[in-house]
Amino acid sequence: MSAKSKSKDNKDHIEVLQEKLQGIKGQEGIIGYLLRGSNSASIDLKDPTKIIDYAVLSATAFEVGQDMLAMLEIGELDSVIMESESTKILSMVVNNHRLSIFMEKSVDHNKLCKDLDLT
Amino acid sequence: MNKDPYAVALNNALSEIRKICPDVSRSFIFTKDGAIVAGDSETDEKTMEKMIHSFQSVAEKAAAIGSLKAFYVDGKKGKIILSSVNDMYLALAVSKDADTTYLHSITHVIIPTVLKLLETITPTPLQFTPSKQLVVDTLSGFFIGDSVQIDIELIEEWAKLLNQESLNEVEIEAFGGKATQCKVKEISDAQLKGKGMIRIPEKVCKTLEVKKGELVKVKPAST
Repeated sequence: MSAKSKSKDNKDHIEVLQEKLQGIKGQEGIIGYLLRGSNSASIDLKDPTKIIDYAVLSATAFEVGQDMLAMLEIGELDSVIMESESTKILSMVVNNHRLSIFMEKSVDHNKLCKDLDLT
Repeated sequence: MNKDPYAVALNNALSEIRKICPDVSRSFIFTKDGAIVAGDSETDEKTMEKMIHSFQSVAEKAAAIGSLKAFYVDGKKGKIILSSVNDMYLALAVSKDADTTYLHSITHVIIPTVLKLLETITPTPLQFTPSKQLVVDTLSGFFIGDSVQIDIELIEEWAKLLNQESLNEVEIEAFGGKATQCKVKEISDAQLKGKGMIRIPEKVCKTLEVKKGELVKVKPAST
């Protein structure tokens, strides 16, 4: 496959993912999501006042996850999950885009991944 | 690392867990302040400290969602689990295909039970030597002496924790590995108070091989 068609495939995949993300955002327990590529970012949160806090937290989770894996020499990052008393954040790399989904702790993130074809 | 009977017992518990669960390749326990309580022999203390430092940076940002209870990292060749256990955190590195139900029982049942048991049978409450990471500011001039300066709140907090009237000396360790013990005073410059700084005389900075702006680990000196 040429680089050009590969890039188009990636773009299509991200567009499909964005549509699916739009679809899940109304689901019970979903707080929002952040999808960041090298040139673009889309963010959708129920509480827009928390956009900066969540964006910083998401970026830190990726950075810390990668650092920890490097320290213990256990390969590249697949995903990071953070949990507080009531909230959970699932972060993963999808086609060179960094995706973070913010949700209530009770949400089954494995099922969510299946719904989004991220497994 | 702490060598009191409590820490020894926890080390033994971690060793036993590794024996019954070969998927666990590394394990250690640390306090919310970042003090290492127990850990396996495979992981050197520097790696544990770096892990804790990384974890603390994300825990700080996680205030936006409340107190961080667990942090799971899934890598291509394994997983890292940092999980809150009572007032501490348990860190585990496990194989990629580790049994998650079994791991859950370790993090949520076995270790909390061991901790509870130890608290019950240990006659005195634990006193882990607290440590803080502070940013270096250099002190220069003829009359600076050889004392370092830190926030008075930290001096008072440590003195209280150690059941002492005051704190006279601290141990400073650079990330390069150099360490020294110095007398400690409160920060005299009002503009530098409350900023997580340690003001260190230039001569001591040379001993520690640290420069202004770098981080050092500071804890009360053992008397």
